[in-house]
Amino acid sequence: MTREELFEQINEIFRDVFDDDTLVITDGTNSEDIEDWDSLEHINLVVAMEKRFNMKFNIKEVGQLKNVGEMADLILSRM
Amino acid sequence: MNEYYYEDIEVGKKESFTVTVTASMLDAFKDISGDVNPLHCNEDFAKKEGYEGRVAYGMLTASFLSALAGVYLPGKYSLIQSVEIKFAKPVYIGDELTVTGEVIEKNDTFGLIIIKVSITSSSGNKVCRGKMQIGVKQRTA
Repeated sequence: MTREELFEQINEIFRDVFDDDTLVITDGTNSEDIEDWDSLEHINLVVAMEKRFNMKFNIKEVGQLKNVGEMADLILSRM
Repeated sequence: MNEYYYEDIEVGKKESFTVTVTASMLDAFKDISGDVNPLHCNEDFAKKEGYEGRVAYGMLTASFLSALAGVYLPGKYSLIQSVEIKFAKPVYIGDELTVTGEVIEKNDTFGLIIIKVSITSSSGNKVCRGKMQIGVKQRTA
């Protein structure tokens, strides 16, 4: 899977979790950019990504992520 | 009160309890919530609208889900994160409700469980159904 293909899937997850079909996610997107991105939705995002990409993260590594680009890199490193 | 930790819980684990809806519960809920809609407070109005009697507040029925999580599954070490429910049928004073939860998913990263919930009346009607996401304390945390 290319990074672009991965981003398309991540974008779908964000739109689903935040129930907003207009969301466009970039490398630099972080919780400051999406009003409803609080700690609970962060859990829901990570859980959705674990399911979609069939992988498990640990609480420490997801806590260190600064933006969606870093999340994408983490997922790619596990594929 | 149950005291399950996250590690004690497996997918498929189920807990349930029963509770009977009383007029005083509806009255107390009216005072707490400020919802004075006559469908819940006025017997004559409710009957004119085609119901058997005062209809229990949906959110009163849903409030038993708080006990389901906080007392039964998982019990002491729980924190409700979200509740998604539908109210399928009306509930009336005197109805005995069976409140049931079954674990359908676990997430090790965050120590949370998803439980499928249903509330069934003594007449056999499923009056409420949905899902709850609950954080559960881990022994290792």
